[in-house]
Amino acid sequence: MADGQSLEEPPKVKKAKGKTPTGPLFTLKKWNAVAMWSWDVECDTCAICRVQVMDACLRCQSDKKQEECIVVWGECNHSFHNCCMQLWIKQNNRCPLCQQEWTVQRFGS
Amino acid sequence: MSVARTPNLHSSKPVNLSDIWDDLEKGIFHVYSWQSMQKKRYMELYTHVYNYCTSIHQPTSSASIVKRRKTQTPSGAQFVGIELYSKLKDFLTNHLETIKPAGEGLSGEQVLIFYTEAWEGYQFSSRVLNGICHYLNRHWVKREHDEGKKDVHEIYSLSLLSWKKCIFQSLSKAVTNAVLELIERERNGETINTRLISGVVDCYVELGIRPDSTQSKGQQLDVYKEYFEAEFLTHTERYYISESAHFLENNPVTEYLKKVETRLLEEQKRVHTFLHESTQDELASKCEHVLIEKYLEMFHSVFNSLLSQEKNEDLARMYMLVSRVSNGLAQLKELFELHVYSQGMASIEKCRDTAQNDPKVYVSALLNTHTKYSNLVKESFAGDSGFMTALDKACGRFVNVNAVTTACNSSSKSPELLARHCDALLKKSAKNPDEAELDEALQNVMILFRYVEDKDVFQKFYSKMLAKRLVQQISASDDAEASMISKLKQACGFEYTSKLQRMFQDMSLSKDLNDKFRQHLSAGDSALDSVDFSIMVLSSGAWPFTQGPSFSLPLELQRSYSRFITFYTSQHNGRKLSWLYQLSRGELVTSCFKSRYTLQTSTYQMAVLLQYNTSESHTFGHLLESTQLKEDTLVQVVAMLLKAKLLSCDDQNITTESVINLFLGYKNKKLRVNINVPVKSEQKQEHEITHKNVEEDRKLLIQAAIVRIMKTRKELKHQQLLAEVLHQLSSRFKPKVPVIKKCVDILIEKEYLERVDGQKDTYRYLA
Repeated sequence: MADGQSLEEPPKVKKAKGKTPTGPLFTLKKWNAVAMWSWDVECDTCAICRVQVMDACLRCQSDKKQEECIVVWGECNHSFHNCCMQLWIKQNNRCPLCQQEWTVQRFGS
Repeated sequence: MSVARTPNLHSSKPVNLSDIWDDLEKGIFHVYSWQSMQKKRYMELYTHVYNYCTSIHQPTSSASIVKRRKTQTPSGAQFVGIELYSKLKDFLTNHLETIKPAGEGLSGEQVLIFYTEAWEGYQFSSRVLNGICHYLNRHWVKREHDEGKKDVHEIYSLSLLSWKKCIFQSLSKAVTNAVLELIERERNGETINTRLISGVVDCYVELGIRPDSTQSKGQQLDVYKEYFEAEFLTHTERYYISESAHFLENNPVTEYLKKVETRLLEEQKRVHTFLHESTQDELASKCEHVLIEKYLEMFHSVFNSLLSQEKNEDLARMYMLVSRVSNGLAQLKELFELHVYSQGMASIEKCRDTAQNDPKVYVSALLNTHTKYSNLVKESFAGDSGFMTALDKACGRFVNVNAVTTACNSSSKSPELLARHCDALLKKSAKNPDEAELDEALQNVMILFRYVEDKDVFQKFYSKMLAKRLVQQISASDDAEASMISKLKQACGFEYTSKLQRMFQDMSLSKDLNDKFRQHLSAGDSALDSVDFSIMVLSSGAWPFTQGPSFSLPLELQRSYSRFITFYTSQHNGRKLSWLYQLSRGELVTSCFKSRYTLQTSTYQMAVLLQYNTSESHTFGHLLESTQLKEDTLVQVVAMLLKAKLLSCDDQNITTESVINLFLGYKNKKLRVNINVPVKSEQKQEHEITHKNVEEDRKLLIQAAIVRIMKTRKELKHQQLLAEVLHQLSSRFKPKVPVIKKCVDILIEKEYLERVDGQKDTYRYLA
């Protein structure tokens, strides 16, 4: 079988009757996976600028700073564009959705 | 006169006219009889005039004249000259009267020979005489003139006036006629003595002296214009009217065009060689009127057939001629537009059936028409911007609506086919063109892209196919992809391509990520995997993919899966991954067949095949349960494997009870077999879905546009709103009016807008 077999645990066959003495009939050699990432958020849209959090906020779109526009989560678990929130808390240090005191829980990266 | 006794510098006693006239007249006669003269003699004559003008005249010397002078100019006493002036005048008249009879009664070339010769001699002699009388000109004539006597002229001008009175007036008719006759003979192809004509013309020009000036400088062309040019122009007009009518009776229009071209050149040259340059413009416009403008309709009537016969030279000639006439081209432009349009339509009609499914045929049919006529405009119509506009209009029409789009019953077929053509160009294939060719092909795509109305449809298809090329790694060249994206960006702006660009970026980000992951694995103590794992992580939102049906990941894959997730969460914060199994691929090595095959499979196929590691036959129901795939997906996967003859099944219609066996007799010539091939019907369906999505997206775009407009305008009439919406969206697509209306209704329902009470057709924005 394949050279790397000794390193690999033999597949844990569900119905334990391996038929061939030489190993499994089909051996996995290669996997090219495709996945999509998105921010782990409750709501896809930023409540401040009304743009999807996956896209840059309007300001960053017009400044063409797609990459730098990240998401921020508050302790309340609500999330917004970090740039939008920065502007927001200058006026009012509360979450626009739940009115709790705004404390940053984490930044997206 | 108190200064009377002042001694004269040159002569001790006063000089009277009678003292000098005899000798002066002899000398002048000598000058006018065309004989050579010594410098000394010339000086003598000049001195006579000088002495006469500068001497002080005794009142007694010539009583009658002095009396006259006293009454006329009491102040300018010391400038004398009137006597000499009138003597000279008489002399010139007499001289001309003597030569005049020789010219009378002559006609044709004879009169011209007489006239030009006489004139040349006379003009030369008069210049000499003018020199002799230089002192008189400078003082007495100038003085008289300054005092307002406009009928006193310099001697040269005097000689011209005398010529005009004696010779010109009696002969001008005969001379002009003879000139015209000569010109007509030249037009008929004879060689003529052009010096005769230029002599006459020079004379006519010279005769146009200003009546109120002492000098002949600053030509007045009145004589030339009145006695020659006017006649010449009517004569020319008459000549060409009859010639053109006659010529066209016996010759085709194309020959006529050539004729006109040479005729116009000839006339231009004619003015240059022997007429006055001021005639140029009027002559040209007369000729253009008679030769071109009168026949515009006839030109228009053959224009189409010249276009279809591709007589580019004749077309160039016609353009050149017609462009000289103001407004002549307008009709040609219209005809041109119509012709290009019908040609474009016809070329698509010809390949209608193949072009529907072969983007290359379709695109090259469109492009051929465009290239052909844009070359024509460049080469034959001097790149005239009006014709370019006509070409653009025509192309805009047949690119968007033609036989293919009507056959498919969809106006957005064009952008779809264009995008598919791009896909074919940019995809890896055996016949990938080289870099330069590819770039040219993409340039050509952009030419057509400009004409496409539904640019949003193109965007949809393009991004779909780009996504596929990138994910399946079948793009021929990154450079070409990037250059195409930047071309689109140039044409439609940042927003249009921002998603395409992000897709492109994700690819390089993924590459880095894989490198890091590999490093992470080799640094870690965990045993290396025998599975060669790689991954692409795409940003959701930029890619036209949706998550496929969930299923239970085969055990063999789970290790890689969970290892990567651990790694990814350590790299990023706040992100979640969703796996696109339908796009993931892999390779399986077989050990159950005659040879060891490497199968390239989809993840779903993999999941099914791996089931056979435990048993050589499964029921369909069992497969369903163990893979957790949806039934319709599994049916497709199994059907594909049956078709590839890896599995076998006795039932025609697969039910949950059907037994599906591994087919151990599998054979294939190749050792690497790709069984992950898309199904044709799937593709077609996909295109249809894309078209449908476009409609939905458009509704959103229209609503957004309406809200934007109403937010700034607050209140707007229906018609104005329509106009603004159409304008805002025109760079993307042409919204249909009923759809806009529907969108307005939706917005009213959603309470973004309301109808203004009492006013029909006015909307108000509700904040």
